[in-house]
Amino acid sequence: MFSLKLGLKNLTRQKRRNILIIFVIAFAFFGYLVMDSLMNGMEEMSFDNIKNYDTGNIQVVNPEYWEDREDLPLENLIYLNQDIVESIKKIEGVLGVSPELRFKANLNNGIDETAVIGLGISFDQYNEVFTTQNYIVEGSMFAPGELKAVIGVSLAELMDLKVDDYITLLVRTKDDTFNTIDVEIAGLVRAPNPMINNGIVFVPLDVAQQALNIGNGVSLLALKTVSGEEERISKSLTDNFKNKDLNLKPYSWKESASSVIALSAAKKGGIGTVLLVVLLIGMLGIINNVILSALERTEEIGMMKALGMREWEIVFVFMIEATGIGILGGLAGCLLGYIGVSWLVKYGFSIGYISGGDASGYGIPILDRIYGIWNYPAFTFLFILGIIIAVLSSILPSYWAAKKDPVKAIYHR
Amino acid sequence: MQKIKGFLLIGIVILFLFSNLTVISATELTAEEIIKKRDDNEYFDSVKIEAEMIIVSGGRKIIKTMVALSDKKNSFVEFTNPHDRGTKFLKREDNLWMFFPDAEEIIKISGHMLNQGMMGSDFSYQDIMESDKLTDLYNFKIIGEEEIEGRLCYVLEGVAREGVKVSYYRRVTWIDKERFIGLKEELYAQSGKLLKETKTNEIQEIEGRWIPVDSVMENKLRKNTYTGFKITLIEFNPEIPEGTFSLQNLR
Repeated sequence: MFSLKLGLKNLTRQKRRNILIIFVIAFAFFGYLVMDSLMNGMEEMSFDNIKNYDTGNIQVVNPEYWEDREDLPLENLIYLNQDIVESIKKIEGVLGVSPELRFKANLNNGIDETAVIGLGISFDQYNEVFTTQNYIVEGSMFAPGELKAVIGVSLAELMDLKVDDYITLLVRTKDDTFNTIDVEIAGLVRAPNPMINNGIVFVPLDVAQQALNIGNGVSLLALKTVSGEEERISKSLTDNFKNKDLNLKPYSWKESASSVIALSAAKKGGIGTVLLVVLLIGMLGIINNVILSALERTEEIGMMKALGMREWEIVFVFMIEATGIGILGGLAGCLLGYIGVSWLVKYGFSIGYISGGDASGYGIPILDRIYGIWNYPAFTFLFILGIIIAVLSSILPSYWAAKKDPVKAIYHR
Repeated sequence: MQKIKGFLLIGIVILFLFSNLTVISATELTAEEIIKKRDDNEYFDSVKIEAEMIIVSGGRKIIKTMVALSDKKNSFVEFTNPHDRGTKFLKREDNLWMFFPDAEEIIKISGHMLNQGMMGSDFSYQDIMESDKLTDLYNFKIIGEEEIEGRLCYVLEGVAREGVKVSYYRRVTWIDKERFIGLKEELYAQSGKLLKETKTNEIQEIEGRWIPVDSVMENKLRKNTYTGFKITLIEFNPEIPEGTFSLQNLR
């Protein structure tokens, strides 16, 4: 009890030094918690942006098409019939099915030309799966058969285009012959996924199919499903296609997000490094504090030993002091972290300095701001780990202090 | 013999090729025969060309110079103007590679890249890759006669044959009735939109052949842009060193 009281009393003896160490630990914890929140937020936003604006939860594709999908071929397409779409819609958990035709095109504004991805969509079905329509900032979407297009604001800026302007899409048909799609710009979109804004031209599905000479072919069917049910639905789809003898396969959105998933893995490594640095800072602070205290209290240690205090009791005194610093530093860090994460969750972190707020150039489909997310286990984990590190890192220097010869310690001058 | 398209290496300008001086009785010729006559004029074993490519886009004018060597199947071009010096292209049958000295890497041009303009010009890589005989690809018919720059021409329309892969669905060609050389050609998309137009500005008689030495291609989808092509030197059947058409020679 005496050791405990002495340890706690010692906490207040070197106020300035202890407060400094508490602050160092607190800021290290704060840095980790904010970083963790931001990284997890970035991952979640990236995944949401891929699912909600690009792939849907599941894509149904011909396996041969999937192999070459980066080249946007017009081979191995799905030739639509009502039966395919209806049978998919009947599967429990499927909320929408959107046929899409993806094709290469050169967008021409009469002066310049740039390579884009053409996306033939059926507007109503597209809306069942994607939320892009909510981000049309000017004009509107198009109706089937209308010779109209919707493009991203970034692409419009690049090509100096606005609503009601006319563009020509130069495409190659299935037979490799040049064809053109002359369309009026119906709307401009600014979706949270910058890849939608930069290089995609939405046109009515039937217009694209006609221009590309592919009948009623589509590249894929994008599905919106109940979140978390992808695996079960994929299995049902596989069985369904097998029964109908269709050469189709479901692919989860994760298979289209490999670059973001790779980034996410790298993120875990980055977070681990930050954690290591944080713990190292705490450790060095505690070790430094114990050594300094021991040096200052050499005579005191000698006196206590001479009066019969045992070594483990002296070690305990220092450990209590170190633990106290760890707890206070951890609490202050968690408090600062709470404030920082709250701010990130509410206001986000502006990435305006990265290519005008567009992180897609780095493989991250996020626009303008990255919002943090709450990771409560990280607070608990860091607080407990901080105390454990404080206790452990105080043992050796405390033992070094406690081992001093009482006579030499009293007369150490 | 394999046709070699164009005086810019790899057949950039297939449209203005070689004619002989034989005067044919025009009235007896069908559209196919006229095209065949023009195609026949394009055959040669090998050629060396020094030329200028003048790229004009939105008031900006860039001149690139080059040396091109071609045989029956292959072509090799090296750019010689200071800005592009060392940039090389190699066409071997249906394959095309390029070498940029800055990147120090050989790149195979395929897929969507073939649609891009060569060195920023209005000639796409695909244009220079087409090497099949036009009569195998298109059904031609005579749609009239017109005078261009004082020369009476056949006007022929070619529509892609069913099942063949061609870049341009329809082409309208003006062929000199006397020299059997293309003076103008319009290339159309399947939608009927005019995509490109080529015109011959100057023809010279060199070694007994009529050669279009100054021609222009316009991308009709873009305003204020065209690419001129001027031959400054042409040599038929030159000695081509061994290994000229090898990938090693690209570096």
